[in-house]
Amino acid sequence: MREDLERLLERLVHASVLERVAISFAALLAAILLGGVLVFVSGAFATCRSGLDLAGATFCYNPMQVYYELFLGALGHPLEGGWELHNYNLATTLRQTTLLIFAGLSVAVAFRAGLFNIGTQGQLVVGGLTTAVTVLFAASYLPSGFVGTVLLVPIGVLAGAVGGGFYGAIPGALKAYAGANEVITTIMLNFIAVGVTSTLLSWRFQDPASDNPQTRAVPEYAEIPNLPLVGFSPRMNFSLLALGFAIALIVGIAWLLARTAFGYELRTTGVQPAAAAYGGVDEKRMTVASMTLSGALGGIGGAFWVLMEHGRWLENVPDLGFDGIAVSILAGNNPLGVGFAAFLFGVLDSGSNSINTATDVPPELVGVLSGTIILFVAMPEFFRMIGRRYVDLEDSVPARSTGGEADD
Amino acid sequence: MIELPSRPGRRTLLVGLGAITAVWIAAGLAFPDSWAGALLSIAASPSTHTAMLRLAVPIALAAIGGIFAEKSGVINIGIEGLLIVSAFSAILVTFWLGAGESTLALSHHWWGFAVGVLVSTLFALLFAIVCIEFKADQIIAGLAVWLIALGLAPFASRIVFQSPNTAGVGRFENVTIPVLSELPVVGYLLFDTPPQVYIMLGAAVVGWYLLNRTAFGRWVVASGENPKALDTAGVDVRRVRYAAVLLSGVFAGLGGAGFALGQLGTFAGSGETAIGGRGFIAIATYLFANYHPIGALLGSFLFAGLESVQIQLQNLGYAVPTELIRTVPYVTVIVVLVFVGKTRLPEAAGESYDADED
Repeated sequence: MREDLERLLERLVHASVLERVAISFAALLAAILLGGVLVFVSGAFATCRSGLDLAGATFCYNPMQVYYELFLGALGHPLEGGWELHNYNLATTLRQTTLLIFAGLSVAVAFRAGLFNIGTQGQLVVGGLTTAVTVLFAASYLPSGFVGTVLLVPIGVLAGAVGGGFYGAIPGALKAYAGANEVITTIMLNFIAVGVTSTLLSWRFQDPASDNPQTRAVPEYAEIPNLPLVGFSPRMNFSLLALGFAIALIVGIAWLLARTAFGYELRTTGVQPAAAAYGGVDEKRMTVASMTLSGALGGIGGAFWVLMEHGRWLENVPDLGFDGIAVSILAGNNPLGVGFAAFLFGVLDSGSNSINTATDVPPELVGVLSGTIILFVAMPEFFRMIGRRYVDLEDSVPARSTGGEADD
Repeated sequence: MIELPSRPGRRTLLVGLGAITAVWIAAGLAFPDSWAGALLSIAASPSTHTAMLRLAVPIALAAIGGIFAEKSGVINIGIEGLLIVSAFSAILVTFWLGAGESTLALSHHWWGFAVGVLVSTLFALLFAIVCIEFKADQIIAGLAVWLIALGLAPFASRIVFQSPNTAGVGRFENVTIPVLSELPVVGYLLFDTPPQVYIMLGAAVVGWYLLNRTAFGRWVVASGENPKALDTAGVDVRRVRYAAVLLSGVFAGLGGAGFALGQLGTFAGSGETAIGGRGFIAIATYLFANYHPIGALLGSFLFAGLESVQIQLQNLGYAVPTELIRTVPYVTVIVVLVFVGKTRLPEAAGESYDADED
C-alpha cells in the first residue's frame, strides 16, 4: 500500500518537474513581455522632453532600459565600472531573498498538504511582533555582548516561530474541526492580525521616544550578526548568516518532506486525503500540524524582518507574505525551487528602487509584473495549448487540469 | 465535519444581537450622559445614517457581484482588484474629460462612471477567460487580479498625476426626489441622497430577483452545485459561468466607480489604496449573509454602520480603538463560518468544469 503510493508520487513528481520548470520560465517571459508592452504604451501618456516619436505620439519610456535597471540595478550594475560585490543594491536583493525564502517555504509547506495558506502575511506580522517583544523583554535579564547575541537571536527566532505557528494553527484547527474553508479564514485572519497587533502596539509596546507606530529598538547585539571580512557592512541591513540559515531551512524542509514519515503523510494528505486516511493518517491532526509548521515558517520570516532589517517591529509591515505566495507558486511549491523564485522576487523588489532612481517609470511596475507572473503561472493550460500547437507534446504531457497544487 | 456541541443557528445569533441592542438602547435612554447614551445619540443621528449608506455602496455591490460568481462555481477573490480598477479609472476618465462639464448632455462624471464599470467588467472577463478557458486555479488567479490592480492604479496615477494620488474631480450631487424626500425618517435617507445609493438599492433588488426568480438564477446555482446535471439538462456550464463572472465585474464596477465619484472624489493609490480592503469585507459580507443579495445589502449596512459610528466618535474626540473595530467584520465572518454553520461554499466552487471528464 505505502510503497505503491510512494511510487505513484515519485512518478507524478518526476513526470512533471521538467514541465513545471518550463511553465515557470514561460510565465516569467510572458510577464516580462507584457510588462514591456505596458511600459512602452504607458510612455505615450507621460510627458517628457525627449522620447521616441512614432505615429504622432511621443513614447517616453524605453522598456529595455527599464529592464536593464530592474535586473542589473538590483545587483548594483555589475557590467559598469567600479562595481563592488558588497554594494547596497545587492544587499537589498539578498535581504529580500532571505525574507522571501521563509515566506515562500511557509506557503509551500501548506500547499503540499493540500491547504492554501493565504495567511502567511498575518503569521509574519504576529511572529514579528512576538519576536520584538520577547527580545526586548529577555534582553533586560541576559548579559550583553557576544553571549547576548548567542542567546537572544535564537530566542527571538524561536519566539517568532511560536507566535506565527500559533497564529497558523488557528485556521488549521478551524478547518479540521469546524470545516471552515482555510482560504477564507486566512484572508480574514490577515486583517485581524493587523488590527490586533496595532492595538497591542498602542496599548503597551509603542516606542515612547517616537511618533512612528513602532516598538522600541532591540539592543544592537540582539540583531543578526554580520560575518567579519566576507560579510556585508552592518549599515546594509543584510547578514550572510541569515541567508545561510534560510538556505539550511530550505534543505531541512526538502528533507522533511521527502525523507521523513511526517513529510510522507503530509504529502499524501495533500494528494490523496482518502488514501492517507486509509493508510492511518489522522487527517485533522495533519491539517493542524501542517498549518502550524507553515505559520511557524512565516513567523520566522517576521523574526528575521525584525532582527535583520529594522531592529524593531514597525506597524507598517511590507507585503512579504503575499509575495511569498507568488514565490511558492512560481516554484511549483517545491522547497528547492523556492530558493530560486525568492531570489527572482528579491531582484524585483530591489530593482524597483533602481527603476525609481534611474528612470521616470513608476516603480509600481514591479507590482504589476509580479501579479502578471502569478497569473501566468496559474494557467499552465495556456502554455500547454501553445506548446501543443507548435510541438507534438500529446504523449509526454499528462493532460491535467489543475494548476498550483503540487504532485497532482 | 463533526457536530460542535453548540451550534446556535443564525436566528439565535440575531435574537442575541437584538437583545444586546435593546439593552444598550434602554441604557442609553435612561442615562443619556453615559457612554451608552453618547453612542446612542451618534447611532441615532442622521449624519451617521447618510454616511453609513454611502460607505455601504462598494461593500454591498461588490458582495452582490461576488455572490453570482461564487454561486456559479467561480470563487472571485479578486473582487478587491475590481473595485480598485473601477474606482481609479472612473476618476481618471472624469479628470481627462474635464470635471463639471458634459458631453452629449451627459455630465462627465457619468461618462467616468460608465468607463469605470466597463474596465471592471473587462478585468472580470480576463479573470473568467483565465479560470474557465485555461482552467487556472481560481484562488491564485483572483489573487493575481488583486495584485495587478494594486500595482496598476498607482502606476498609471504616477504617469498622469506624478503622484500615486489622483487630482480631485468633485462628487456626484444629491438627487432629491420631491415630496418623497419630505417623508419623516426615510425621506432624507432614501430620497435625498447621491445617485450611487439609489444604484446600490436597485442593484440589490435586481440581484435578488435575478438569482431567485429567473431561469438564469437557477442555472447559476446549478452550475455551482452540480455542473454535471446542468450540462445534462442541456445548458452550457461555461456560458453560465462566463455570464456570472462578468456580472460580478459589473456589480463590483458599479460599486467601485460609484464609491469613487460619489464619496471619495479622488483616488489615493498608495499602500492598500483608497479601497482599503472593502472588497474583502464584501466577501465577508456575502458569506455572513449566506449568499442572499438582500442579506448582503443589510450586512453591508451593519459593517458600514460600524465604520460610520466609529468615524463620528473620532470626530467628537473620543479615543476609539479604530484598528480593533476594523477587525469586527472579519471576526464576524469567522464566527459565522465556524459556529453558525449552514454557510457552505457551493459544492463545485473552485473547480473548473470539464464536459469531457469521466
